[in-house]
Amino acid sequence: MAPPWLDVLDETIGACATHRRPDLEARLREKRAQQVDPKLRVLVIGESKQGKSQLVNALINAPVCAVGDDITTTVPTFVQHSETPSAALVRNASSRRSIMNAPTERVAVPIEQVTKQVSAIHSGELVRAEIGIPRALLTSGLVLIDTPGIGDTRSANTASTFATVLQADAVLMVSDATGELTSAELALLKKVMAACPNVTVVITKTDLCPQWRTVVERNRSHLARAGIPAKLLPVSATLRLRAAKTGDQVLNTESGFPDLLACLQRDIVASADLLARRAVSVVASSVISQLVTPLREELTTHDSSHTAATISTLQEAQRRVDELRRRSARWQNVLNDEMADLVSDVEYDLRDRTRKILREVDKTFDEADPAQGWEQFEQWLEDNLNDAATTNFAWLMERAEWVAEKVARNFPVYREDILPGSILPDDVLDPVGKLDKPKIEPFTITQKVFTGLRGSYGGVLMFGLVTSLAGMPLINVISLGAGALFGGKTIKDESDARLKRRQAAAKAAAQRHVDDFFIKFSKDCRDAGRYIQRSLRNHFASLAEEMQETLLESARSAKRAVQDDASQRDQRQREARRELDKLVTLYKRVQALGGGAAMELSA
Amino acid sequence: MKIDHVTWSILQEALAVYRDSPRAFGWLRSHVERFTEPVRVAVAGQPGIGKSTLANALIGESFAPAPTFSWYRNGSAAHAQVFSGGRFAEAPVVRRGGRMAVDAGSWDTVDRVVVDWPSRSLRDFVLIDTPASAAPEQIFADADAVVYLMRHLKDDDLQFLRSAHDHPIARVAAVNTIGVLARADEIGGGRIDALSSAKQIARRYRRDVQVQPLCQNVVACAGLIAVAARTMREDEFQALRALAALGREELEDHLLSADRFVGTAFPLDLDPAVRQGLLERFGLFGVRLCCALVRQGFDTTVKLTGQLVQRSGLGELRDSIAIHLVERREVLKARSALLALDVVLRMEPRPGARKLMADLERAVASAHDFRELRLVAALQGGRTKLPPELETEAMRLVGAEGTTSLARLGFDYDATPAEQRSVLLDALARWQAQATDPHLGGDHRRAAQIVVRSCEGLLTGLI
Ligand SMILES: Nc1nc2c(ncn2[C@@H]2O[C@H](COP(=O)(O)OP(=O)(O)OP(=O)(O)O)[C@@H](O)[C@H]2O)c(=O)[nH]1
Ligand SMILES: Nc1nc2c(ncn2[C@@H]2O[C@H](COP(=O)(O)OP(=O)(O)OP(=O)(O)O)[C@@H](O)[C@H]2O)c(=O)[nH]1
Ligand SMILES: [Mg+2]
Ligand SMILES: [Mg+2]
Repeated sequence: MAPPWLDVLDETIGACATHRRPDLEARLREKRAQQVDPKLRVLVIGESKQGKSQLVNALINAPVCAVGDDITTTVPTFVQHSETPSAALVRNASSRRSIMNAPTERVAVPIEQVTKQVSAIHSGELVRAEIGIPRALLTSGLVLIDTPGIGDTRSANTASTFATVLQADAVLMVSDATGELTSAELALLKKVMAACPNVTVVITKTDLCPQWRTVVERNRSHLARAGIPAKLLPVSATLRLRAAKTGDQVLNTESGFPDLLACLQRDIVASADLLARRAVSVVASSVISQLVTPLREELTTHDSSHTAATISTLQEAQRRVDELRRRSARWQNVLNDEMADLVSDVEYDLRDRTRKILREVDKTFDEADPAQGWEQFEQWLEDNLNDAATTNFAWLMERAEWVAEKVARNFPVYREDILPGSILPDDVLDPVGKLDKPKIEPFTITQKVFTGLRGSYGGVLMFGLVTSLAGMPLINVISLGAGALFGGKTIKDESDARLKRRQAAAKAAAQRHVDDFFIKFSKDCRDAGRYIQRSLRNHFASLAEEMQETLLESARSAKRAVQDDASQRDQRQREARRELDKLVTLYKRVQALGGGAAMELSA
Repeated sequence: MKIDHVTWSILQEALAVYRDSPRAFGWLRSHVERFTEPVRVAVAGQPGIGKSTLANALIGESFAPAPTFSWYRNGSAAHAQVFSGGRFAEAPVVRRGGRMAVDAGSWDTVDRVVVDWPSRSLRDFVLIDTPASAAPEQIFADADAVVYLMRHLKDDDLQFLRSAHDHPIARVAAVNTIGVLARADEIGGGRIDALSSAKQIARRYRRDVQVQPLCQNVVACAGLIAVAARTMREDEFQALRALAALGREELEDHLLSADRFVGTAFPLDLDPAVRQGLLERFGLFGVRLCCALVRQGFDTTVKLTGQLVQRSGLGELRDSIAIHLVERREVLKARSALLALDVVLRMEPRPGARKLMADLERAVASAHDFRELRLVAALQGGRTKLPPELETEAMRLVGAEGTTSLARLGFDYDATPAEQRSVLLDALARWQAQATDPHLGGDHRRAAQIVVRSCEGLLTGLI
């Protein structure tokens, strides 16, 4: 059965056809295609060797992700529905790496060979693998994403996984039953929860562990204590895969997978419907408003029923079309100039902030001994860079929004949805999914406009900070221990020369770290700027086209009004009234879809 | 002079210099004592990784885990002392539910338990089981060497391993850590070839550029199986044999999961409690392995135990402890003593100690023993490469096969000093040429220089 939002959407599409607006119709058809085939990204993450890849394989009963005893997964694998099995590797086309928009190329490979090829190709150039496979589970648009293990000392992997978390609709955090959740895993969970609240902790390998029930119980209390409201499900991929091979239903139940599948269905696929309704509600409202405008114009014209007024309306419409064309050049200039200023100002601001931090570092280590309190220092540095990045990026967002408003002001006409719903394409990171993802909670316009970008920024930020100060031989555990045993308090250190050397080393390390951070982060800011600019340009350009079409339609109907004789005019007026009432009713239904209080559309 | 002799004499001198400081004198005396004791090997690793289990495997007895530092040393009778905040008390060691336990009495905070336990395995070293809450600094202060347990290497592990060498003296003497890829039976999800797969992964870590400088060796070990093997009871063996007597196919479904193994509808009249017991002691993988081994003909307790000890990796771990830690007792002891001296000289500097400071620095800088050990490790790990025949000779000359002049020169009989000298001079000339050959790589020449220095040392002993 078609979901209710689909009926409403189709009626709105019908209305577009009735009102001869092929442009709006095309827009809705595109949206329809997206919504009928939504992508729900379920990210599978966890520390290395917890059984992530095997979990994905067991969910779909096919060995599409490489599984191994030693560290195996090095790039994400996207598994989604397709009519026939297929596989492809996506590689960097150039060596330039960027989170935002590195050009990539896609090479199809035989599905039986994909796991081998993934391990064969050396990581750097491979971005991800994509699998298409016919599975009922996936037909609702579920995309399962297997990821490299986190915390295995290859921070680049960790960073790219973080970046993907921010694009996920749900997360399965995998931890095996051979041990309880560690403090590192709990910390990871917290971080992930902040980016994507729909998290399920999956405890794997229950077949292997006699005490898995105890582990599950203790994990539950760890989660409760840490204040992490994630669900927790025990499973065994080994049992599931064997059950699939032998067709053993009892074993399948023992594997715990039916529960996991039910949970996916309930929490993820079901919530997709809500997301779809909201998305449809937003576009359909906007389209109906535009259909209503010429009708209303026609009615007012008729009401006044002065031919002179009608003619002036016609002239007015013509004038506005011309104006629209003329002022296109203006808003484009404003956009270009403002964005260029924005990018350089934001970079300057970032440089200023990092300089201040470094000055503080120097001052600190003129006096202090880095051997004492190095960990606090690391924390301090991380916090400060975090602050700098957050403030800087928030400023970028604010300025970008201001630019959007300024462009809107230079736009010839005002409209409810003149500011873009999102300045990013639906999917920044990769073109697999197309799901436009409004967050469930209500948000202010600022948040809404920039949510997508902020998401990718989070990944950037975490990435910047993953490259830590490791390798600094400063915290002298050995002296500390011996000193404590010897004197009951920490040891006073050594000669001046050693202290000086250590201070210099600490300053240099901090400098390196901050430089690193600056380079990465400012590059991502620039990329973000370019992205915003492009999205705004596209947005306003298509807006201009639509408006032109609406104006022309108004002009056309005004013209008709002038030409028609009185009886035709009455006839048309009745028709217009009827049409308008229909649209208003449709609009109410559209609004109801979104679940929000219906906005009045004055008839 | 050898590093242990040098260190000993600096220690004695320091005792004289610090005669009038009770704190320093007491500290130095305790280190003089420690110098002559067996090597102290701490078992360390993340919480719950299996430290206590592995310690039990090494001892050959199952001790109930205690949330405190537990020292195990060889003694003529089972006996324990419990330490708490400077006080201590004698405590009995009792058998409780199949395991040994220390009756700690009424103390609620215990700093350390020292167990004397008659065991051949403890003849050469003192084993320290560290609790989950152990601070690294205390581990490094107490122990001469560390056996570090990890699963797959994570950042936390690297940090711990690095901090073990995080001191000017420790860096020079980075010779005291063995890495263990723990819970080897769980690698590969308990597949029957898990242990050999684990061994391969350990081999990879041994050569890993990050791990290699930090660990003398990395071995895979399944502590659970090792301890079960070494303490296997007759009733357990009988139960395993009965299981193995069932056909493989018949048993397969019931060995699919731990739950199934203890479930109802078992094809054999074996009490669920017995099955539960086997599972706890051997793990599911252990039960599978035992059945397979019994079927292969290891059908007596002795044969089965031998196989399990070997396959679990315990054999390799013991060898590794023997070669890398016990045989190098002198060097490890010198290392600990030098670290202790360094503390005194820095905490209580005084004019009379200036010469000591200089002696200490010279000893550390010129300690050829440390260099030999690092070369052995580098060659074994493949970090430094020499042509095969040269590598064999280099290893021997720097003492990898024993540190007597006969062992170093490769004699398997009591060669006369004259005979030895002629072989030695040959070798010396050859290695001197290597050390100065500009066509060879830097690593190669540096290695040759160390060999030359070892030969020169031998020569002085033979004149
Ligand atoms: N399968 C398997 N389980 C093991 C192994 N070693 C230990 N275990 C299990 O892991 C759990 C913890 O083992 P312990 O030896 O107490 O670990 P620990 O590192 O001493 O723990 P803390 O002292 O609390 O840090 C126990 O349930 C053991 O049975 C092993 O090699 N294989
Ligand atoms: N017994 C058992 N073994 C499992 C299960 N799931 C995975 N394994 C085993 O655990 C090992 C690791 O599985 P992977 O799926 O490669 O784990 P991963 O988390 O993807 O590993 P990386 O991607 O390398 O971090 C493999 O040897 C699997 O056979 C399970 O449910 N039961
Ligand atoms: Mg994997
Ligand atoms: Mg323990």
